[in-house]
Parts: sequence; structure tokens; C-alpha cells
Amino acid sequence: MSNAAPFSTRRPTDWATPAMQSRVRRRYRAERRFRLLGLAAVTLSGAFLLFLLGSMLLRGAGGFLETRVAMPIDFARASLDVDPRRLQGRAADLALAGAGLEGAVDDAAVAAFGPDLGGRILSDGAWLRVREAIKDDPSVLSRRVVMSLPVASPIDVAAKGPGSVEAEAVVASLRSGDLLSTGLNREFLLSADSTDPTRAGIWGALKGSILTMLVTLLLAFPIGLLAALYLEEYAPKNRWTDLIEVSINNLAAVPSIIFGLLGLALFLGTFGLPRSAPLVGGLTLALLTMPVIVIASRNAIKAVPPSIRDAALGVGASPIQVVFHHVLPLALPGILTGTIIGMARALGETAPLLMIGMRAFIAAPPDGITDPATVLPVQVFLWSDEVGRGFVEKTSAAIVVLLVFLLAMNALAIHLRNRFETRW
Amino acid sequence: MSNHPPKITATHVNVWYGAKKAIDDVSIDIDQDSVTALIGPSGCGKSTFLRTLNRMNDTVANARVQGDIRLDGEDIYSPDMDVVQLRARVGMVFQKPNPFPKSIYENVAYGPRIHGLASSRSELEGIVQTSLKRAGLWEEVKDRLSDSGTALSGGQQQRLCIARAIAVDPEVILMDEPCSALDPIATAKIEELIHALKGRYAIAIVTHNMQQAARVSQRTAFFHLGQLVEYGATTEIFTNPREERTRDYITGRYG
Ligand SMILES: Nc1ncnc2c1ncn2[C@@H]1O[C@H](COP(=O)(O)OP(=O)(O)OP(=O)(O)O)[C@@H](O)[C@H]1O
Ligand SMILES: [Mg+2]
Repeated sequence: MSNAAPFSTRRPTDWATPAMQSRVRRRYRAERRFRLLGLAAVTLSGAFLLFLLGSMLLRGAGGFLETRVAMPIDFARASLDVDPRRLQGRAADLALAGAGLEGAVDDAAVAAFGPDLGGRILSDGAWLRVREAIKDDPSVLSRRVVMSLPVASPIDVAAKGPGSVEAEAVVASLRSGDLLSTGLNREFLLSADSTDPTRAGIWGALKGSILTMLVTLLLAFPIGLLAALYLEEYAPKNRWTDLIEVSINNLAAVPSIIFGLLGLALFLGTFGLPRSAPLVGGLTLALLTMPVIVIASRNAIKAVPPSIRDAALGVGASPIQVVFHHVLPLALPGILTGTIIGMARALGETAPLLMIGMRAFIAAPPDGITDPATVLPVQVFLWSDEVGRGFVEKTSAAIVVLLVFLLAMNALAIHLRNRFETRW
Repeated sequence: MSNHPPKITATHVNVWYGAKKAIDDVSIDIDQDSVTALIGPSGCGKSTFLRTLNRMNDTVANARVQGDIRLDGEDIYSPDMDVVQLRARVGMVFQKPNPFPKSIYENVAYGPRIHGLASSRSELEGIVQTSLKRAGLWEEVKDRLSDSGTALSGGQQQRLCIARAIAVDPEVILMDEPCSALDPIATAKIEELIHALKGRYAIAIVTHNMQQAARVSQRTAFFHLGQLVEYGATTEIFTNPREERTRDYITGRYG
């Protein structure tokens, strides 16, 4: 039986030979190697991200804090001429300014620290804190109180790290008297740019970014989505649509500064829209974001299986019902991902916004989309260019705010995508 | 064999995909109260022909249809024809099961809803229930109507697609190999269903299973290489075919 004629000349495969086994081992080794490489790549990119966030947080943390000095103010002797009944509501600010509060605070500083140091120890905005304290509790006006007030930038810098020799000496003497303390710099989160680093805030730029992003989203998302839907679902496939496709792909690759020049010429030059406004910034960034959204949406729409379209058409759905009931819901996660990628890119853009004048020094947060404003990355750029040492940590702090904004946007995108994801 | 005029008359139909001719001068009548089987080797154009009857070929970019196809005497390729309504009147079950990635209930309720066939929620629920019952799926899914249609087995998905098609209450049902993914029991259920639907709907069914064609149909059309080789009463075709090619095919001598 065993010496029956062979079925073919080919011998049966022997899976146990050493050569075969070494081949199998080699295969497993290759697999392990590949897995390790992948793991290394993921670890490396994670480490980069952590390093970036960590170093920014370390350097920027100081930007969220301020150094304060305890200083006695004797309001009873300062003879502020202010009617306590006017210390209610809006009139209070005017009443206190008119009564010479700023001068009184300066006098108190001189009285406490001597004529030399007293003139330069406090931040320019220190008297505003005093004003708020009086508004909170008008009874202090008849007493002598000790207040913690923000110090001027050179002393603030020296208190947080190495500063000028002179300021270091001041800090050392204040520390020995246990007069210095550290607190949260609320002004940084609540106010706009300033020439004084202790008073400069990020809120103006953050609000500018939010308004600009809103304009961008409201324009780029519907227009990009409609364009993608039209191109995928309705447009005939011919040379013209091929040309449009190529143009859109090219548009997505155009350097952003060119969009800035276009925005400058078109929105400021031709339409005469206001300079530095979130409206113009949003329009310009919409031009830049739209191609990204169109491309991502088209790919997401293309990925919807044709059998689903057939199924819907087969029960008599009209083309628009097919799109809105079946194609869009299935394509939405991909569309949202593309939109967020586009928006994240727009959020980080600096160059095109410089072209349309958003680099101006603007000391008040914008109230609307036509007010002059700046945005976070431009604010980072502006502060990094400042000579004042105090701006170094503000720059890092602004970067932290920008990154947090970005992470929040991405988290929202992932949340939305998971919500709309269809399980097959 | 029928005293009604045919439900669908197709005369001299040609279909091209680009430069390639897929259907060559086919003429067929589909009767109101009988089941018509389309048989033939793979790639001979059965699906293509079926899809001309509810203009599903419109969605294929390079497909071109020529000829005269009438539903109740009305030219379905005339510019006045409302394609959306045509597809509601001529329902289709596709070769591959293609439920919507939505709940079982939604799958069946979708058609009636977009056509406004139910005036109330309970009426819609009734339509869904009877459709699923007629498709022989009700007992298996009645407790999980909100589960995804795509989570069903292949055979259940196909019956869901049948339920979806009959929920719209079409006049004609086109079935493209509805049983190719089914086991013998599910196949028997579908064949029962076809028997039950016969008379109420005009039915055309593509099948590779000769026994099935013999069991369910009254008329059979044999396609080969895009041409209609023979068309007649099923008993005639299977016992006494006129053409050599038909005989070879139904006796399994064809590659
Ligand atoms: N979208 C298309 N584009 C180009 N050619 C096509 C297309 N669809 C079908 N064809 C061709 O048309 C011919 C007929 O195809 P059809 O799908 O109608 O065959 P069939 O008889 O249904 O085959 P099967 O039994 O395998 O389903 C085949 O040669 C096929 O390659
Ligand atoms: Mg087919």
C-alpha cells in the first residue's frame, strides 16, 4: 500500500524539517520586530507631546501667577474726598478716580518703601486693585489697612527667577521682611494685551480666536460640505469636474500667507471691510479651511457603500432623501474629523492674519466680529518679540492657553465622532 | 396564459456598459399574476436586465439603455416618468443583502414613511409587523426590533430586505437571487413567500437554482451572453426546450 504509485511527482510537504521550522521562527521574529518598531514610534510621538506640554507648562506656569507685596495704606490720612453714597454701581469708578486714588496709592508706596523704591515697586495697575477693594468694602476708607498689591514687572521677574541685580536686591530685602506673596494672576485670564507684562492678558486674544473660529466654521463648514455633496452626488464626471477636483487639491496645498494676501486684496481692498477684525480673519481662514473640508467630506461620502444608496433608491427614496437620510449620517464622522483638522490648522495660523492687520496692539477685547482684535497664535508671536523680560513667561502661558483650546476642540471632535459613529 | 395584459412589456432592449454590450435585443413580457424566472450562466446579464425594469441602471455612470419598456402601458424611460415613484411601484431585492445600518424597525418603516403610507404611528407599526410576518422574519426578530439590521445573519438580512421591499406595497417585485445566501430552510420560507405573494404582485426572480426556478415560476427566460435564448412556460422550458443551449444549461452540461 505504501509503495503504490505516487499521485504526483511532488513529495508531500514535511512541516517538521529544520529548514521549515527556522522559516516559521523567522516569520515570528519579523512579526515581533514590526510590533516593537510600531510601539517605539507611538512611544516616541507620545514622548514628544509630553515634552512639549511639560516644558510649556513649566515655563508658562509663572505667567498665570503674580507676585504681590504687602503694603499698608492709611486711607484716613490720605484725605480722599469721596462721597460714600456714590460708591455704588458704575459711578464708583469715576468717583474714586476723581478723588485722586491713584496718587494716594503712590503716596502710600513712597511712605512705606521710601521715595526711591516706592516710586517703582508697584505695577501700574496696582491702584485698580485698591479701587476694587474699596468698592467691595467702602468702610476701609476710614481705616489703615494692609493690602497685597501686584509688583512691577522687573521685581516680579526677579521674584520668580533670576532677574536684574538691582531687582534681586529688592526682592531679597522684601523677602526678609516677609512682605512678598504669590497669587493667581486673574488679570491674565480676564484682560487684553498691555505694554506692561504684569497687566497683559490673554482674554482679548482668546476671544478674538473664538470669534474668528466661529466665522470660519460658519462659512467653511456649510460651503465645504455643500460643495463636497454636489461634486460627489450630482456633478457629472467630466473634464470640468476633474479640473475642479485638481484645483481644490491644489488650493489645500497653497501656502497660507498667500491666502493672507488674497484676503488683504479682496476683503480689505475691494470690499472695504474693517482691518484687524475677526470677520476678515474668519473669512480669510475660511478660504484656507474650505478645501480641507471639501476633500475630507468627499472621501467620507465616497466611502459610503453604493449598496446602501441602491437600497434607498430601491424603495423609492429621492436622491436628496438618499443623501440626507443615508449618505450624510454615515459620512458624518469622517466629515467632522476633516472639519476639525481644518479648524485646528486655522486656529494655529499666524501668517495670513498678519497680512490683514491682526498684529496690531489691541488693548481691549473685541465686542463683536467687526472690532479690532488679535488671535492666540499672533499674540504668542507678538509677545515673543517683546524685549521686556516679563513677556517671556507670558509667551509660554499664551502657548499653554492655545494648546488647551486646541485639545478642547479635538476632544469635542472625538466626542461628536463617537456619537455619530454607526455600528455595522 | 393570462387574461390580463402583461404588467411589464420590454421590447428590443439593449444595454451598454461603456462600449461593452451587456444586453442584446431582449424582449420579454412579465405577467401580472405569475412568477417569471430569469436563468442563465453567471455574467450573462440577468441582473442588468432586471435593473432596467426599475431604472436602477440610471445610477451606473456608464450604463446606457435603449429600447421600449412599459409598465401598464406607460413608457418608464419617457421624460414624464417619475423615477422615484416608479421605484416605489417596482420594488427590488438585491443580490447581496443590503439592510440600512439602522434598526430592524427603521429598515422596514423607512419606505412607508417617505411615501406617507401610514397616517399614524400604530398604522406604521402594523405595516412593519405584517411585512416582517410575510417575509417570514417576524418570529425571529419581534423581541429585538430596535437592534441593528446589520447585526442579523446573512439569511435574516435578506428576508429583512424582502420585508423592506413589500412594506412599500409595490405592484411588481424584482428579486435578484434572493436565496443565494440562504440555507435550505430559509430558502423554503422565501419560496413559500413567493407563492403567497403571487397574484398580488407581479414577480420576476433571478436564480441559479434550476429546481427553484421550476418550483416557483410559471414562466422562465433563459439568458446567454446578453441574449434571450428562450422564453416560455416553465414546464415547457424544463421538459421540452426548443433550443440546444437551453437544454445543455438546465441539464448542467454548461461550464
Ligand atoms: N457596472 C458595470 N460596469 C461595467 N460592466 C458591468 C457592470 N455591471 C455588470 N457589467 C458586465 O455586464 C455583464 C452582465 O452582468 P450582470 O451583473 O448583469 O450578470 P448576471 O447575469 O447578473 O451574473 P451573476 O449571475 O453572476 O449575477 C457582465 O459581463 C458584467 O461584467
Ligand atoms: Mg447578477
